[in-house]
Amino acid sequence: MVRVKSRYLLCEINVTDRNSLLLLNDKAIAAAVKEVVARIHGDYGAAMCSLRFSVKYLNTQTGMVFLRFPKMSYKLLWSALPFITSIDTRWKKIPCFLNCLHVGGTIRTCQKFLIRYNTQQLHRMLPNCQNEEEKEKIRKAILSCSIIQGAFEDERDDNEDEP
Amino acid sequence: MSVFMDLNLTFSADRSNMQQIIDTAAYLGFSTVAVNYTFEPSIKKKETVPSPKPVEDLIDQLPIVQGRSRPIRVLNRLTLVLSELSHFRPNLTEYANFDLLAVQPTTEKLFHAACTQLEVDVISVAMTEKLPFFFKRAPVNVALERGLAFEVSYTAAIRDATMRRYTIANAVSLVQACKGKNVLVSSAAMKPQELRGPYDIINLCSLMGLSDEEAKRSVSSICRSLLLHAETRKAASGVISTKKSCGEKPQQQEAPISRNTGEGDSGEGCAPAAKRLKSQLTD
Repeated sequence: MVRVKSRYLLCEINVTDRNSLLLLNDKAIAAAVKEVVARIHGDYGAAMCSLRFSVKYLNTQTGMVFLRFPKMSYKLLWSALPFITSIDTRWKKIPCFLNCLHVGGTIRTCQKFLIRYNTQQLHRMLPNCQNEEEKEKIRKAILSCSIIQGAFEDERDDNEDEP
Repeated sequence: MSVFMDLNLTFSADRSNMQQIIDTAAYLGFSTVAVNYTFEPSIKKKETVPSPKPVEDLIDQLPIVQGRSRPIRVLNRLTLVLSELSHFRPNLTEYANFDLLAVQPTTEKLFHAACTQLEVDVISVAMTEKLPFFFKRAPVNVALERGLAFEVSYTAAIRDATMRRYTIANAVSLVQACKGKNVLVSSAAMKPQELRGPYDIINLCSLMGLSDEEAKRSVSSICRSLLLHAETRKAASGVISTKKSCGEKPQQQEAPISRNTGEGDSGEGCAPAAKRLKSQLTD
């Protein structure tokens, strides 16, 4: 058996107002991506995007999103992503841009990268702390992400088997 | 992971906006940015060349670059929009205040002059209009030999559909003329929302006809060689460099620093080794 190959893009949604991230949902992002691909690459792009494209995971707290593209055309579809300037949600239009952090062949490698990246972000936060209490919180968070890592992986392993 | 640079952030007088742009650039992983001042010289009106604002005035505290432990480096850059050759005064002391010097030629004659004669670092290509001239191989080759770079900025493409067509068309014709060598991709962003991450830019370059490797070099190593080129422009033919020492002896001159002369190929008449790309030295 040969499995159907995909590429998973780990993207970060950058917004000016972090609270607006909470309004996002999978469908809004999928619609925005489809729309921009159709705008940049026309009907061909839209066809490629309708094949096996899906939004696999969205974290509205941190603005991380996994996009799945078919392997044969991920470069074409990815080249349309920088042209996203806003995402329409039901309530309002959120001006934002996508920043691609990692491209992986499986969801698992993306997840590993994401955990490492989030730890790195915590390290970046550490010097900006105002008081001792916050510092202690972040230190704890840094330690906890290395412990949870194993448990987390088992839980998400099943996702990988999907085509 | 290589060092990414964005050598074109549009200067705005709004301090908080500038701060936000630089913060976003550091967050996205750019370790060097250049703040761009545009200047259009004309004979009738005696305008003064803008002087760069010191970095401390632009931003309170330099943010730490993503994935690194060093703060971001902020440089200054001047872009001259030339409509006549005489407007470019090569020995102007104001030019020396800037770390990088770019020209944006508007006619074919000026493009030819910029490629062959003018002492600049970057030749900027207008992205907001259809180019009134074609890129000819001969001047482009001379420019490559001198170590100049051609600049493509992508922000106009993000803003509007017509601009996008012009940008892609101009960029493709440029890339065909210089065969993908020495193309510099920068943002020209005015708002933090218009910046894009380095890997997105690299992939975006595939639309402009650059291969992956060339695209990666266009945001990293070409920028680095340009900064070196800019330094040699200030020094005398890249052989002697002088530094202002702030210490007790202001008159003392720095010992001449002989730069890397690239053994074997320093033939007479060709540009100093430091002015060229590393790849050109090896082949």
